[in-house]
Amino acid sequence: MTLRLSHYWVLRLPGERLSLRLPVKALLLALLMTLGLLSLIALSLTIGSYEMSLRQVLSTLLGDEISGQMTTVVWEFRFPRTLVAAFVGTMLALSGAALQNVTRNGLADPSLVGISQGAGLAVVTLTVLWPDQSSALRPWVAFAGSLIVAALIQGLSWNRRGGSSIRFILMGIGVAAFISAITSALMTYGQIDRAMSALAWLSGSINAAGWSEVRMVSVWCAVLMPPLLILSRSMSALQMGESTAVGLGVRASVIRYALISVAVGLAAIATAAVGPLGFVGLIAPHMARRLARSGVGIHLLLTALIGAFVVTLADLLGRALFAPIQIPAGLVTAIIGVPVFIYLLQKSQAKSAL
Amino acid sequence: MTTQVSQFAPTPESPEDSSGAWLAYSAGLPVLVAVLALMFGWHIAVGAKSLPLSTVLNALISYDASQFDHMIVRDLRLPRAVIAVLVGAALSVAGALMQGVTRNPLAEPGILGLMAGASFAVVMAIGVFQTVPTVWLPWVAAVGAMVTAVVVWLIAQWAPGGATPLTLTLAGAAITAFLGALISVAHLLNQETFEQLRVWLAGSLSGRRVDVLSVAAPWLCLALGVAMVLSRKVTVLAMGDDVARGLGVRTGWLKVQVLLCVVVLTACSVALAGPLGFVGLVIPHVVRLFIGSDYRWIVPYSALVGGAYLLGVDIIARLALRPQEIATGIMTAMVGAPLFIHLVRQRAS
Amino acid sequence: MSESISSRSIRYASRLQGESLTVGYDAAPILNDVDFQVPDGQVTILVGPNGSGKSTLLKALARILTPTEGQVLLDGQDIHRSKTREVAKKLGLLPQGPVAPEGLTVRELVAQGRFPHQSLLRQWSSEDERAVNEAMTVAKVFDFADRPVDGLSGGQRQRCWIAMVLAQQTDLVLLDEPTTFLDLKVQVDLMELLVQLAHQMGRTLVVVLHELNLAAAYADTLVMLRDGAIKHWGPPSDVFTSANLKAVFDLDAHVIRDPHSKRLICVPTSAPEPAQHIEVGVRIA
Repeated sequence: MTLRLSHYWVLRLPGERLSLRLPVKALLLALLMTLGLLSLIALSLTIGSYEMSLRQVLSTLLGDEISGQMTTVVWEFRFPRTLVAAFVGTMLALSGAALQNVTRNGLADPSLVGISQGAGLAVVTLTVLWPDQSSALRPWVAFAGSLIVAALIQGLSWNRRGGSSIRFILMGIGVAAFISAITSALMTYGQIDRAMSALAWLSGSINAAGWSEVRMVSVWCAVLMPPLLILSRSMSALQMGESTAVGLGVRASVIRYALISVAVGLAAIATAAVGPLGFVGLIAPHMARRLARSGVGIHLLLTALIGAFVVTLADLLGRALFAPIQIPAGLVTAIIGVPVFIYLLQKSQAKSAL
Repeated sequence: MTTQVSQFAPTPESPEDSSGAWLAYSAGLPVLVAVLALMFGWHIAVGAKSLPLSTVLNALISYDASQFDHMIVRDLRLPRAVIAVLVGAALSVAGALMQGVTRNPLAEPGILGLMAGASFAVVMAIGVFQTVPTVWLPWVAAVGAMVTAVVVWLIAQWAPGGATPLTLTLAGAAITAFLGALISVAHLLNQETFEQLRVWLAGSLSGRRVDVLSVAAPWLCLALGVAMVLSRKVTVLAMGDDVARGLGVRTGWLKVQVLLCVVVLTACSVALAGPLGFVGLVIPHVVRLFIGSDYRWIVPYSALVGGAYLLGVDIIARLALRPQEIATGIMTAMVGAPLFIHLVRQRAS
Repeated sequence: MSESISSRSIRYASRLQGESLTVGYDAAPILNDVDFQVPDGQVTILVGPNGSGKSTLLKALARILTPTEGQVLLDGQDIHRSKTREVAKKLGLLPQGPVAPEGLTVRELVAQGRFPHQSLLRQWSSEDERAVNEAMTVAKVFDFADRPVDGLSGGQRQRCWIAMVLAQQTDLVLLDEPTTFLDLKVQVDLMELLVQLAHQMGRTLVVVLHELNLAAAYADTLVMLRDGAIKHWGPPSDVFTSANLKAVFDLDAHVIRDPHSKRLICVPTSAPEPAQHIEVGVRIA
């Protein structure tokens, strides 16, 4: 086994069955981000209307029962909620990274291209029209809604000259406006209590998240992340354009559909769990790229960590800043995300104009 | 690209043609006025209690306070119809002017963020001062719309490639999302004050803000008049800044005038009916289909067609899901968004 | 049909062949029933007027485009039915006007060429490292190996992309207009590099070029296309003639041989008689 230190660590097992080139800075950063995320989660567990010290939180998590109330607060409310925030952030960030890769457009984000709105419409339809259906159906319905909208936008933005990524974004804005209008109309039609529960969900709130949501997002994370990892190598080739990628031996058409499916899946499940959270998928991949240069694999890891960090932080800010009033995390991510979007717009390539 | 420009620039016509067109176009105006009047009557007639058109006419011409139906017409339904006409006209004309000046087929007060700015200013003013004198509402909205217009334009201007339809639209969408989130936060922080604004924020004519109407209507009508006066120069400007300058138009000053006019129109509409998206996008495009690209005609036609359109949309909004009423803003988005998509598609091919 | 194939195909060894290729829609195919064998170990240059189908032919050979009829054979296997990754170990492609992602360094770009030889767990073997270093040496990009590609000049950038294709270690390399938008000196340097690859390292190169004189100077085999068909095909000394240029490009030109390099050059002649008459007439007046 050889290990050399420079900008990269080259890791090679004898026989070279395993040989990797690992960017030192990015790896260290990933480690730091992991520690940062864990600290943020710990901090998030201590903050709230019921004051707890970090020590109390940790021992409660380890199984010591300090008081029944503490156990309830940590295990029933704060811990599942924080876990859901972290998972959802991861999923949206990875979805954004995959979308930006496949559309070759740095401004792509599941909420900007109508995917979140598609999931939103599907879930609201389910909530308003068939309120008796179990919530187990939600992820599937959300996935179907997102997929239909994604296909619609792809179809609309494709013409004889092939798909243009900028048109994809504009089309997304139009389709999103249309779908939001239908969603609002549905909520007018629905009974007020159902409409109210749909409304809370639509602003992207993690308030209500419990263990069933944790189970849903973690299982789907486990299902959708390995394909993304396998696709990561092709993603790095696709960065250089479809023709180059084909020349290098990427089955571009298959990979494209696989990537879109995974991206839609990740965004749809996250949306089904907590409602649409905008701009996370936009910010996280760019932040990861700016923090450390790396190959696509490590970049995805960093993106996931940043996404988890951002949403956990947004949730924490939302419930701590104006306590006892809770600001849904979706509003916080929008307020953070829009300036970043404008900044990225300034940096985007002039040649990508319509 | 070239076909797109020609859509917004007048095509040179021989004198005979233009005089023939002039006759045809002016003949269209009375027809449209008649259609508008008909829609107006119908709008008043429908509702929880349907009234025959004759009753509506009677109530308007010879009002009899003792008749309950007359009261419904005069006090409940007439203001709403008047608001629909004025707001529809104002937004359509604002959209037409913006499309002409920015040579951007996607320009519209809603898409470019002006409405979000106006709504945000109103919401914040009410949030901070609890009660805002009605007289001030249009002006608060105007300040918000003005600031947002400038910010959106600056963002687009600084982006590589300058203020293209793409950058303007993206900047407008981003600012709208941002202000929308801030409004939602303000709403959560101060539930009681904002509860009354909820319906208004969805873009609705149901508020019957008669007090606002008396304040906003004069300004709105004045701005419509100014738009008529400016329309001749806008036609020239639509052919390009250089051409317009060559023909003796002070383009910078004209743009400021148009901006002020658009801001007043948008602000009055928002103060009256909340944000109604896509009206300013749809109407000028429909009008252009019939009368071409001369803004001297586009502006009055947009005003009339826009008024009739919003009356029609509002009728559907009230009837479609009876007894519930869909917010009018939802309806305008449902009609307008597909056109937006079509325009993006068309522009690309 | 079968006659023409047999009469052409025996002339030299060819690992990459197109058989009666038709590409495009039925009504107006861009490429119409083309047979083509790429001669091994040579520089083959495709030229033709715009819309002649030269880039389309290259893309069909590179499996970017799927022909509606006919097939592309690589070592006797239909290229569209083979595993694309196995093909990528034998056949490299440099598309027209490639764009590197922002901030990617030269070394990272060249390392992308190792894609078909790598796997998820085996991403940087000593073999990969050797191939990348060698490719960067041959393409002369070692000096700026750690600089971002988007900060380089056009010629340097194009050499980086060639290094990437070299790192792929394929015997066959297809290049689509690699010299477009470059200074003449840089174009010449690039062509020298490509010829060296073929003649000294035994690679087979197919290049689409716009510059006729460059094509004539560096091609072992020159292929002229027009209207989706191959019109002329052979060594430049046979093919690069005044008559052929007129027939294929509608270009009036003299073809002369440079006395020093012995290379063929075409010199366009201004469309002849009437213009001169007018000039004379003006003088008299």
